[in-house]
Amino acid sequence: MEREVVELENQAGVEEPDPITSRSMSGPLLIASLALIGTLIWALYDEVYGRRPWKAMQREFVERYTAYLKRIKPRQAATEAALKQSPEYKKLEQDLMAARQAVAPRVREIDRELAEIERQLEAIRPVFQDARAKIGALTYEWEVATSERAKARKMRQIEEAKRGPFRVRLIAANGEGTNQEWRLTFDELQRRFLGLQERKAQLVSERARLLEPVAEIEKKMNQYLQDHLVGLDQKQIDGLLRKMETFKIELKQIHVADGDLVDRCISCHVGILEPLPLTEQIMGRKAFVSHPNPRLLRIHNPERFGCSPCHGGNGRATTSVVKAHGLNKHWLWPLYQPENYEAGCVQCHFRDRVLEGAEVFNLGRDLYELKGCVGCHRYEGYDRETDALAEVRKTIRQLNVERAENEREIRRTLRAADQATDDREARRLYALAESLRVKNSQIADRLEQLELQAKYLMQDQKKVGPNLKEIRMKLRKEWIPVWIENPHAFRPTTKMPRFRLTKEEVQAISAYLWQTALRDPVPAQPPGDPIRGRELFETRGCLACHAIGEGAQAIGGTFAANLSRVGEKVNYDYLVRWIHNPRERARPYCPNERRDIGPEDYAKKGLPFRFDLNHSKCPSCGSEMQVQQMTVMPSLRLSWQEARDIASFLMTQRRSGVSYPPAPFMDDPKLKARGAQLIRRYGCAGCHEISGFEEEPKIGTELTREGSKPLEQLDFGLLAREAKRQGWYNHKGFIEHKLRQPDIYDRGKLKAPEDRLRMPNPNLTEEEIRALTTFLLGSVNATLPPSYYYTPADQRKDIQEGWWIIKKYNCMGCHTILPGQRSVLSTLPRYQDPDWKDQLPPSLIGEGARVRPDWLARFLENPALSETNLERNGVREYLKVRMPTFFFSPNEIRILVRFFEALSAQAQPYIEPKLEPITETERALARQLFTSPAAPCLRCHMTGDPAHDQRATAPNFLIARERLKPGWTARWMIDPQAISPGTAMPSGLFRREGDRWVFAGPLPEAFRTYPGDHVDLLVRYMFQLTAEEQRRLLAATRLTARARPPSVSMASDRSRGRKGGT
Amino acid sequence: MKTWRRSALAVILVLAALSLQCGKKEEVSEAPKEEAAPTTTYQPTGDEGAIAGVVNFTGQPPQRRRIQMDADPVCAQKNPNALSEEVIVNNGKLQNVFVYVKSGLEKYSFAVPAEEVVLDQNGCMYRPHVLGVMANQNVKIITSDPTNHNIHPTPKNNPEWNVNQPPGSDPIIRSFPRPEVMIPVKCNQHPWMRAYIGVLRHPFHAVSKEDGSFEIKGLPPGEYEIEAWHERYGAQVAKVTVGPKETKQIEFTYAAGQAYRPGSLRLMPALVLPCCEKGMGHASLSKR
Repeated sequence: MEREVVELENQAGVEEPDPITSRSMSGPLLIASLALIGTLIWALYDEVYGRRPWKAMQREFVERYTAYLKRIKPRQAATEAALKQSPEYKKLEQDLMAARQAVAPRVREIDRELAEIERQLEAIRPVFQDARAKIGALTYEWEVATSERAKARKMRQIEEAKRGPFRVRLIAANGEGTNQEWRLTFDELQRRFLGLQERKAQLVSERARLLEPVAEIEKKMNQYLQDHLVGLDQKQIDGLLRKMETFKIELKQIHVADGDLVDRCISCHVGILEPLPLTEQIMGRKAFVSHPNPRLLRIHNPERFGCSPCHGGNGRATTSVVKAHGLNKHWLWPLYQPENYEAGCVQCHFRDRVLEGAEVFNLGRDLYELKGCVGCHRYEGYDRETDALAEVRKTIRQLNVERAENEREIRRTLRAADQATDDREARRLYALAESLRVKNSQIADRLEQLELQAKYLMQDQKKVGPNLKEIRMKLRKEWIPVWIENPHAFRPTTKMPRFRLTKEEVQAISAYLWQTALRDPVPAQPPGDPIRGRELFETRGCLACHAIGEGAQAIGGTFAANLSRVGEKVNYDYLVRWIHNPRERARPYCPNERRDIGPEDYAKKGLPFRFDLNHSKCPSCGSEMQVQQMTVMPSLRLSWQEARDIASFLMTQRRSGVSYPPAPFMDDPKLKARGAQLIRRYGCAGCHEISGFEEEPKIGTELTREGSKPLEQLDFGLLAREAKRQGWYNHKGFIEHKLRQPDIYDRGKLKAPEDRLRMPNPNLTEEEIRALTTFLLGSVNATLPPSYYYTPADQRKDIQEGWWIIKKYNCMGCHTILPGQRSVLSTLPRYQDPDWKDQLPPSLIGEGARVRPDWLARFLENPALSETNLERNGVREYLKVRMPTFFFSPNEIRILVRFFEALSAQAQPYIEPKLEPITETERALARQLFTSPAAPCLRCHMTGDPAHDQRATAPNFLIARERLKPGWTARWMIDPQAISPGTAMPSGLFRREGDRWVFAGPLPEAFRTYPGDHVDLLVRYMFQLTAEEQRRLLAATRLTARARPPSVSMASDRSRGRKGGT
Repeated sequence: MKTWRRSALAVILVLAALSLQCGKKEEVSEAPKEEAAPTTTYQPTGDEGAIAGVVNFTGQPPQRRRIQMDADPVCAQKNPNALSEEVIVNNGKLQNVFVYVKSGLEKYSFAVPAEEVVLDQNGCMYRPHVLGVMANQNVKIITSDPTNHNIHPTPKNNPEWNVNQPPGSDPIIRSFPRPEVMIPVKCNQHPWMRAYIGVLRHPFHAVSKEDGSFEIKGLPPGEYEIEAWHERYGAQVAKVTVGPKETKQIEFTYAAGQAYRPGSLRLMPALVLPCCEKGMGHASLSKR
């Protein structure tokens, strides 16, 4: 009890603490205010620096760049000084002095006179201007005066004012002599003023004329420095230093109003447009480099193109590198990685098949076609012929409707005219009917053209893979299932991708193909000579497209099939026929009747079983048929013996002792239906012709806009999380992984076989994956205004279209078309030998300037340039490699001719320039020159003499007239190395003498008095050369050759020795 | 109490972290390096040694063929008995082998000799047949023939050119800017004409003479790889160490069998003739 009381007392005794006075809030308040201040500082910092990282960047750039400029300045100064000491420059300096001295007296005189005139003008000008103003004002008053009296008064005032006198005080020159004063009337004043001005103009122009040579030399001196100084000169460096001194730290941007583009990339990448090549090594930071490809920037001026259209990224963002580069979440267009830079080309260059300098882009474009992507996935531009054919057929239908409509209208109008009440109306209606009739005839013209187009376009359609209707004639039966199961096991570099097929599926597909294949016979062939066949295979040009050997051993092109082990699979007789003419088909296909037409169909109509490009109408329904194999492989116009030799060589391309298990299931009719189902499912007909699948649609998604598909629509399957973790959850990652392993996104999923991903494995190298990824990444929806697109309407369009044909037939396998490009043939070991170099097909750079378009069209149609002698080259008969017959349609020939003409900027259509006819004297002169021992022409050029032509290395002059353009011929003769570096024709055959070209060797006597240009003379002689004249020439040469019979030289001995050799 | 303390702590930590951030300087690679200073030109010390030797040839050398010069009667007249120079063997010694220092001189640079190396076209043959120059050293090409020639080197690493030289014209003086072993030179008008120019970044080379001997003088002491190159028989390498004022003897030996043909295609490991194998022969296939 007592205890309780004490406790109570205690409680009462302890005062209740005042919550306000007893607890101090100063601690929390201090911290809070500190935090507040801290936040403020942070906010300020963030505002000024944190969110403006480019400020520090710019400061650093100025510092580093200034240091670099200062470092190189003395070095450049030294080189410049050294240059000024060079004899050339000294000579120019002397010239300058001499030129200056030559005109100095007169210039001094002029300057003196000019000074005097200027002195007088200075005195007169203010007086004259005052007077003129005053009189002008009075004249105006006279003009606006209303009464006669007022006018008369004003006139008097004007006259009075003109009388003056005006006082001009002429200050004495140089303070010597006396000051003069003139008193003049206005007219005198004006005369004197204008006279002085006229004289001054005269003197000034004379002075400029006198000093012209001086200025000319000064220009030369500057030019000399510019030409010989690598890098910038002192003035330029000083300019850049000044620029750095006055550099303003600010947000820098490129604004392109067209398209409302704002790119602030240059806020950090300050050096990107600098004229000096700045590397990371020089600047110490990758961000400060100058653009590594200034040529590209000259074409795509950043002022107009900005940065992000090509590079991707977020051009407006400036707060962090991640954001500016568009690498943050939800930003759709991240900066392209260096390996995919050329993805940026695709959007605007969607019409281009080949872009000069864009190797990755070009490879991606190539692979899309070569690897057969195009068989399943539509991509705008690739199915040119199919798309154009559909378009043409549509137009034909429309025009037919229009024509029928017109016919009806004509009938109606005529009836109405017959019954018209008055003649005038009748005449009007008859005229209307007539004009409609004419209109219909115009429609008929168009229809004729369109039907031709349709015919050509149909033949121009090609497929990536071979025709499987002929496998019974072509292939070893047991090989087929082995191949289908895993093509890469048989041939690692094949275009045929690997499908993930079960044994049952392989059997069903093989069975369908085998049972539906044609059973036509192939004529039996006697065996050929494989040794000779190998020589032909190596030298006729097969290796421009085909390779032999796998991996590091592979030699040849990758355009067509690698032919290693071809002997294990193919039937010799079929191979011979194929090599002889790969376009030969067993049966034509009629798209209208949807079947292959056989001899029986022709027999029904009493027609012989004959079909080719000129006999392409279906005997049953009259529509256009597919009469060629849908392959791009051309005919090399080989003899049957040569075809047999090459085939015999190819039959040796196999491993010995291989055996394939028998495949009886291929004849099992029960498997056929299942096979058809699978062929449809896997889209085999995208690349192959297969019976019953001629009109199959493509099975894959269109990829024209694949790069801008929303990321969420790309099915990463169960790998999305892994992809995010590993940093490839983006378009690039998706495409790369898919190409590497097409079924990767099925991983871990339980799916019915028919739901699994169908894309087969194309077995690509990493380089190929990179190129295809780049191409697809760039295949985006249009985000830029159309004015950005490269869609020229002039000759450049012809170039764009031509590339599709050039690539379609692999012209670059044999020819150089772009400067710097090397053909496949020229990289082969054989052609590294100096003798074999002369055996390379000609470079086609400048082909449009070289040959006449009409000739080129003829040549492309028939490269033998002969109807009877087909087994030769029409121009360069001495070449072992052969220009093949591609069976180009007139459509393609037109595109190709226009392409070459456009590449050389030739005006179209070609109009032959008139050449001055050659006189008898001139002919005698030219003949002498041609046959003189010093002139080498006939040593290398073909003459028609078989023994000579065997070792010739240049075409016959006889075809010059129909083939060449004279202007080009002259330029070629003067400097062939400039047109085609490395050509057998030497430069320096002519030298410049005054304003004409003169043969550089010893000249025949008669030339002493010939005043004309020798090149011009020879061109005219060549263009007017007749066969008879050539015979005369040859006879004359033989005379000088002391009638010794020509024999084979040692060089051809040597090359022959080599043929059999390895 | 605890809550505000914790938040205060957080704020302080953040501030501290921020201040640290402010203090941290961006790390950038320091002052860019200058381009590597060019090695100084070698100054002879008097200690130089030499390499001398001979190129042997074993086996039966191929017969030297007579060159038919009918294509140009001027040549045939001037040089009626010209023999092929591809392989010249005298008493078991091989001529026209280009011997040079392949490696070991990287640390030196050498002044380009001012004198020109002469290549003469005489009797529609090149004199000499094999020659060596330094990069940027002038080659003076002269013609002693009353017929037209063109000079057409076909290099791999140097620019290619092809220039006409009529009889009696001035010498053509040119140089090759980059080292390259060897540059074939030909005349398109006389296809048998062939010379080989070895372009080096130093002056240490020799061509084996008629007796197969060669000598490279003035070599700084050191370890070297010496290569011998022959147009038909290819290259051989020898390693030598040359001491001060020492003349090292080396020998190369070529054998008749080992022809080397750069222009050939090495396609097939073995040629299996289609007619000779059973089972898969084309005859049996075509009957199917």
